[in-house]
Amino acid sequence: MISRESVRVAASLAGGAVLVAFAAASVPWSANPLRRPRTPFDRSAASSVASGFALLRDAAPLIPDGAVLVAWTEPRDPVQETYFHRFALALLPGREVLPAAYYGAAMPPEVWNRAGYGVVVGRRPARPAGRLLLETADGSLWRREP
Amino acid sequence: MTGAAWLLSLSLAAVCGWPLLSHRSLRGLPLSSRLVLSGAAGAVLLSAAMTCAVVLGLRWSIAVLVPVAAAMAAALRPFARGEAPSPPPGRDAFGGGTWTAAAHALAALAVAVAFLATWSGAATSPDLIFFWGAKAQQFAAARTIDVPFLQNVFHRYMHLYYPPFVTNVYAFATMAAGRFPWTAATLTFPLLLGALAVGLPGILRTRVERRAAAALSALAIAAIACAGIDADVAGNAEMPLLLLEAMAVALLVSPHARQPSTQLVAGILLAGVITAKVEGLPFALATAALFLLLRADARPIGAASARLLLPAVACLGTWFLFGATRHLFTGYAGEGKFLDLYPGRLAAVVRSIGTALAATGYGLPWLVPLAVVLASGRPRRVSLIPLGTAAALTAFFLFTYLHRAENPALWISWSAARIFMPVAMLLVVATACGAPPSPSPETTVPTQEAPSQR
Repeated sequence: MISRESVRVAASLAGGAVLVAFAAASVPWSANPLRRPRTPFDRSAASSVASGFALLRDAAPLIPDGAVLVAWTEPRDPVQETYFHRFALALLPGREVLPAAYYGAAMPPEVWNRAGYGVVVGRRPARPAGRLLLETADGSLWRREP
Repeated sequence: MTGAAWLLSLSLAAVCGWPLLSHRSLRGLPLSSRLVLSGAAGAVLLSAAMTCAVVLGLRWSIAVLVPVAAAMAAALRPFARGEAPSPPPGRDAFGGGTWTAAAHALAALAVAVAFLATWSGAATSPDLIFFWGAKAQQFAAARTIDVPFLQNVFHRYMHLYYPPFVTNVYAFATMAAGRFPWTAATLTFPLLLGALAVGLPGILRTRVERRAAAALSALAIAAIACAGIDADVAGNAEMPLLLLEAMAVALLVSPHARQPSTQLVAGILLAGVITAKVEGLPFALATAALFLLLRADARPIGAASARLLLPAVACLGTWFLFGATRHLFTGYAGEGKFLDLYPGRLAAVVRSIGTALAATGYGLPWLVPLAVVLASGRPRRVSLIPLGTAAALTAFFLFTYLHRAENPALWISWSAARIFMPVAMLLVVATACGAPPSPSPETTVPTQEAPSQR
């Protein structure tokens, strides 16, 4: 007769194996999971913010400590701009980051127009946002006249 | 290299906790479990020392914090009374036959999968960037909890009242490494999952035979890996919280929990639970209350309550004292007034939670442990500790979701899977309670340590 203990062990192992199989299915095998991705968000559910993460990281060496900056998107998207305000605060420590949008609502220019640097996620703005310091596939960095 | 240094510095927490975990009365647990418990308890003491330093207006220094936390652990030794219960036959949690080896292999595979998903950028939590890491980085640079940073009106989304355990520990590692490495921080998910895989079997082994302890531990690790990857928890507070919760509950259902020393260690872990996330408060209160109610062998109740709850009261009290003295907060902020609920939304909230859990590995991280609980026969009295805690936690989440004036469906869709992860773990621990304890805890083993060192 099979003991209750054996049932418990077998059920735990079988269930655990199923769960590991499902977990393994979430690993991006086709993209070689051992290769370090460009950003920690490349293959997560929040992959839409990966380009902003990469741009802010690439722009960091060009923005000095104590500088004031603002990050926005082209075309303008207050929800994404809310995220990039938060990303800029995390990825650009030592700088003052002003919000172009907050909790999904666009902020009036008085809030952010004293920023000396502008990080533009997405395409290049139709009108130059100042002096271009960096342009990548993810966006551009501008020295602004506050 | 910075990332490696950041992760390695976390091992200093084990140094902080060891003066307590090396106590003779805890030697009934295998070394693997005591090392992990030492790291977990040491991290709690380290965080407590950091919060105390902030309240006193002292700047953080690693050279001071580590000895202070270790001294706190040493100062707790006199409260850790009791003899070491005799270990079950074949005490080493990692020995054993084919079934045990298969279980450990399965747990290792789950940890490896969690690592690959995290390393490849498939499990990163946005909350790491939004506030856990951002705050820790700022606090490390300021060598304290930076009040002007928290007061900035455009930083309010960082939840200034959130308890300090995770940001303190991350700030400690950042001070050690020199900067905050974002990828390394995400690796805390597989790293702490691995720590749980090492530490949990030895504690469950005190209740069930070795192969069952290994199998149940593997099931818990697999459930957390599966849900954690799908819910993108890498780098946020979920995994530190789960490690503390799992070890605390496993200790409290163990036959060793009649000992003051085990209760004290569980109390320190519950202090970590309470100071890791807001939902740690109902978790710890429910676990402690159910333990005191259901474990007639853990008496006197006053002393047991003190060992279980005083560390948490001290840690959370220090945090609220900080908030009050800096005019930042006096409690946890919620959505509206405490009892302003929208009960008419209950059905919609339950439906949204079900949808969110079903979208996470088809709900299997919860359904599989539930099936194993049901297959394990009639629950024993002690299993009501994890089951009751799971019920209390579920009630708290429903209460929280019913607080919001707007439709909470979107909020539930991105939060439910990760905050319900402890329920899966609790179901597994409840399964370990379904059999009579395997050791004979009344018998003691002689030790060579002098009584003065107890």
